[in-house]
Amino acid sequence: MSQNAEKVLDHFKLFREPEYKEMFARKKEEFEYAVPAEALQHTIEWTKTEDYKEKNFAREALTVNPAKACQPLGAVFAANGFEGTLPFVHGSQGCVAYYRSHFSRHFKEPTSCVSSSMTEDAAVFGGLNNMIDGLANAYSLYKPKMIAVSTTCMAEVIGDDLNAFIKTSREKGSIPNEFDVPFAHTPAFVGSHITGYDNALLGVVKYFWDGKAGMAPALERKPNKSVNFIGGFDGYVVGNNREIRRIFNEFGIKYTMLCDPSDAWDTPTDGEFRMYDGGTTLEDTANAIHAKATIVMQTISTEKTAAFIESKGQEVVRLHHPVGVAGTDHLLMELSRITGKEIPESLTKERGRLVDAIADSSAHIHGKKFALYGDPDTMLGLTAFLLELGAEPVTVLSTNGDNDWAAKVQALFDASPFGTNCKVYPKKDLWHLRSLLFTEPVDFLIGNTFGKYLDRDTNTPLIRIGFPIFDRHHKHRYPVWGYQGGLNVLVTILDKIFDTMDADTNGIGTTDYSFDIIR
Amino acid sequence: MSVTAESRVNAAELIEEVLKAYPEKSAKRRAKHLTVQEEGKSDCDVKSNIKSLPGVMTIRGCAYAGSKGVVWGPIKDMIHISHGPVGCGQYSWASRRNYYIGTTGIDSYGTMQFTSDFQEKDIVFGGDKKLEKIIDEIDVLFPLNKGISIQSECPIGLIGDDIEAVAKKKAKQYEGKTIVPVRCEGFRGVSQSLGHHIANDTIRDFVFDKTDPTKNAFVGTPYDVAIIGDYNIGGDAWSSRILLEEMGLRVIAQWSGDGSIAELENTPKAKLNILHCYRSMNYISRHMEEKYGIPWVEYNFFGPSKIEESLRKIASFFDDSIKEKTEQVILKYQALTNAVIAKYKPRLQGKKVMLFVGGLRPRHVIGAYEDLGMEVVGTGYEFGHNDDYQRTTHYVKDGTLIYDDVTGYEFEKFVEAIQPDLVGSGVKEKYVFQKMGVPFRQMHSWDYSGPYHGYDGFAIFARDMDMAINNPVWALTKTPWKKAA
Amino acid sequence: MAALRQIAFYGKGGIGKSTTSQNTLAALAEMGQKILIVGCDPKADSTRLILHAKAQDTVLSLAAEAGSVEDLELEDVMKVGYRDIRCVESGGPEPGVGCAGRGVITSINFLEENGAYDGADYVSYDVLGDVVCGGFAMPIRENKAQEIYIVMSGEMMAMYAANNISKGVLKYANSGGVRLGGLVCNERQTDKELELAEALAGMLGTKLIHFVPRDNIVQHAELRRMTVLEYAPESKQAEEYRQLAQKIHANAGNGTIPTPITMDQLEDLLMDFGIMKKEDESVIGKAAAVA
Repeated sequence: MSQNAEKVLDHFKLFREPEYKEMFARKKEEFEYAVPAEALQHTIEWTKTEDYKEKNFAREALTVNPAKACQPLGAVFAANGFEGTLPFVHGSQGCVAYYRSHFSRHFKEPTSCVSSSMTEDAAVFGGLNNMIDGLANAYSLYKPKMIAVSTTCMAEVIGDDLNAFIKTSREKGSIPNEFDVPFAHTPAFVGSHITGYDNALLGVVKYFWDGKAGMAPALERKPNKSVNFIGGFDGYVVGNNREIRRIFNEFGIKYTMLCDPSDAWDTPTDGEFRMYDGGTTLEDTANAIHAKATIVMQTISTEKTAAFIESKGQEVVRLHHPVGVAGTDHLLMELSRITGKEIPESLTKERGRLVDAIADSSAHIHGKKFALYGDPDTMLGLTAFLLELGAEPVTVLSTNGDNDWAAKVQALFDASPFGTNCKVYPKKDLWHLRSLLFTEPVDFLIGNTFGKYLDRDTNTPLIRIGFPIFDRHHKHRYPVWGYQGGLNVLVTILDKIFDTMDADTNGIGTTDYSFDIIR
Repeated sequence: MSVTAESRVNAAELIEEVLKAYPEKSAKRRAKHLTVQEEGKSDCDVKSNIKSLPGVMTIRGCAYAGSKGVVWGPIKDMIHISHGPVGCGQYSWASRRNYYIGTTGIDSYGTMQFTSDFQEKDIVFGGDKKLEKIIDEIDVLFPLNKGISIQSECPIGLIGDDIEAVAKKKAKQYEGKTIVPVRCEGFRGVSQSLGHHIANDTIRDFVFDKTDPTKNAFVGTPYDVAIIGDYNIGGDAWSSRILLEEMGLRVIAQWSGDGSIAELENTPKAKLNILHCYRSMNYISRHMEEKYGIPWVEYNFFGPSKIEESLRKIASFFDDSIKEKTEQVILKYQALTNAVIAKYKPRLQGKKVMLFVGGLRPRHVIGAYEDLGMEVVGTGYEFGHNDDYQRTTHYVKDGTLIYDDVTGYEFEKFVEAIQPDLVGSGVKEKYVFQKMGVPFRQMHSWDYSGPYHGYDGFAIFARDMDMAINNPVWALTKTPWKKAA
Repeated sequence: MAALRQIAFYGKGGIGKSTTSQNTLAALAEMGQKILIVGCDPKADSTRLILHAKAQDTVLSLAAEAGSVEDLELEDVMKVGYRDIRCVESGGPEPGVGCAGRGVITSINFLEENGAYDGADYVSYDVLGDVVCGGFAMPIRENKAQEIYIVMSGEMMAMYAANNISKGVLKYANSGGVRLGGLVCNERQTDKELELAEALAGMLGTKLIHFVPRDNIVQHAELRRMTVLEYAPESKQAEEYRQLAQKIHANAGNGTIPTPITMDQLEDLLMDFGIMKKEDESVIGKAAAVA
């Protein structure tokens, strides 16, 4: 017995004690009829080969370890960005339990969202009654200012009509007549979580601008000098949105952040649970139609919404998750051009500081090879930044990035001498990436938490940037946008490089001549 | 009025108060799920296992979560395909902490996400051909897999795919390979519970009934038992197994944490099935009793009182040599248990706990808290049935608040009114209560700690409850310059 | 330019729905109207007479090949036929697999998003059989078809289907703007067919827009994959379709919210017209030999 009340051993150490190790061996030997060690070793080695890679890339039907989620997740994200808004997902209830858990594991925050809890009878007869009762219950219990409805794949397959259902619910008195219920169809079998974000955000914007689903006259645009900002589906939304606010304030620009969950996912622990906090006000959402222009920070995550806004006569500035100096320069120069305001000296100085930091550290990053995966916009921003640092983003992969996206990444490669040997992989998963990390090894991997399995299997140190991050805390509180954000990304990368360097040079009397105290 | 009678009245008033927030029709329906335990009642007197109300923020999941997430997912040497759109498999990917030992991606697949990633064309034209191809591709890329299960997501049942036919065809093509079609579409049933049942039935139909009894050269002993309904969360089944082995038993199978297909196949050769999570695996236990004559016994490995009771109960099925060793085991761990209690009980004495968990824990952990001098004042099941509530009456005290399928609103209001010293529930609830300044432990995932089962686990359990309740951060939640309202 | 008219033809399978709709739309085109036909039947034969061929490239078959609808261009699926009528077929799975209803939703969303309706005077949806699920109801939802024309005949099952379709229209009429434009009776030469059709229309709260007499010339034209309008423009039957087209053209805004009837009412109607005999309750469910 190794357990001890004074120094309690939990799963980290307990199972390494001899009594457990012997027990595991017995279990395997006597009951598991496990694969013989030789066959196991043979297969392990085979999965590292070109032959395996070829077969792996020949997959047409199977997806293994994808780096994407489904539409309604994005819809819940978008809904959460509006003042007092309760996300309501029409369909099976298990889905909602999953979205809530997923976000809570990333942000370490509560995520409120309700389901219409459709079951087998609703599959046959349609979910109208679930909508009627669901809206009534949600409205009475949670007293939202707005309920934003989206759908699970169940409701989409049976073809439930949100617009008609919501109207009927109003007639039946589930919610007051003037209560705002924007909606969006978000089928899980189309696109990914970023598509769902786009559809849901479009649902909200369209609802307010085009006459509240027939309940009010459509708004007429009276252009003013304000600028809208749309961040897109963003795991760093808490840090990023605050940083962007600061930038706008430095400029002195009047702005509306369309969809801002940065407070909802960062409430204080002070004795009170805030189901709703912050968010874009409904009034600002409606008035955003009059803005001079809209900055779209992640174009692929906001395609339809951007097109809709443009159709109202606004200029739309389309960006791809800019990270680093040139990316932020472009953002600021566009802001300056649109508003006619000069870029403030304070920001100019920040720029210089980021350049300074890069200059200080670039020797450790220059020429290092990276593999990175994630959402398509994020990949464009990070690829550009790595090239800017003189690193080689040898492998850039996205499960939800398509061929158009790949062409954009290729264009970044083509424009930089560091992009010569780099390759982009659209519509591929992390099992594809596993093969690539064996056949085209790199120094570092950039991705979300699930990349830790690749780190383990291929011995490629993982730098956690992306969504979701479950196994590191509070990263979402730090921006990756703006010059400050660029600095954070730089430091995140450098920390891993230095830690890896130290771990690699600490062999006593063998390698520790390079175990320098100054790097 | 006695203390319990008074608290009973207060709790009843609280329920009434909370129900006022609902529309009338819903209040009526929710009222049947909420009650105050009265001594002598046989089933807690709540309705359970019926549909959740739409829009109330139920904590429940779905049948897919019950089958893929709970029952099948932990079988480590099989590949479990999440069949349908990408989300279900993504959100349930490796999040339940079903520990296992194996080389992931080569001979084990527990922390991987295999999905058919349905696209619109698969919905419109049906997904059977894609499924066939997936099975072929698995055969090429994961040649050491010992079987495949097909975990249906909602659309499969709606578009009329015939996954049974695909499974049959491919099983034949791959010479009797175990391929299990599971109809666990999320819209079936009212919670995870039906998924457990469906998954149990598929083990019966596609493992027991299709396995050649001579497949594994297996020599039995009179002391063979199988652990049923332990998912090895944070290593729970391991810290349980070690006790069973110490008392002279041979654990021939773990269902399903760190389990393998061979263990499932050999379970009908057990002399006794010992059942931890009754809710999720009573079905297959009953089946084995009827078909193979294997008795089953429920046990509880949370906290020394219940462990001791359970060890003796299990031993009672065997001869004196086992009973003797069992007493030795109890004796062996007494010092540890005493030390743990001596260390933690003074810090935890009298602390009040409210629980809301899944299959067995709403009742099973009560003893462990009581061993530490704590008191459970409210409990409820996410997806329990009437037989769970019947079993709960033996655990709870008069005046305990009982809430079935509690809604976000109710749970918040109950905790606000009762002000317990600790809430134990899931990740969706964790941050709500911590914001309120109430200490919290996740009682599904053990809050990334564990194991909690067995004597080794009890020490960790005690440490964790102490670290939650006596965390200095709770003294900081009130802002000093703000006056209490 | 007048507002876009969105109409849909529904009716029991085999009733001659596609034939009626294509002939009528050909006549509307003759009147100078710009027409877009959206076939919502997985059989993809709603535009055969206009295109002189069965449409091969349906939205869904091309989307399946390309990977997803997002990879498609409008030109890939839009064909132009007789009198510049633009035709799109949704297509769908073979019988017994997949979800044809979802296919309809997919196709219509694609067409809307890609501006297929720009410049048209009429969009006509031709929908399979009954409103069996949410997918087949797609064309009658708000912002889609505003006027529904039910093709029927004096046969019991056709009338039964017409009543069911009315229920579907009613379901969406209150929340959206869809209305029942009227019934079109495609003569089957059953007893008292015209009277029966008029009576049913009355009970459903609508009107019989036109009674199309049976004429073999329709079959002759079909053998050549043509509408009668094109095959024999001077024929009497072509004139019938012209009349129907004019009535529909003049019917804008005259649609009603239908008042579907019960099965018993429908049986009573048939009995009133002597189509069904008043049966002794005791014989119901007994085989001919027994009764």
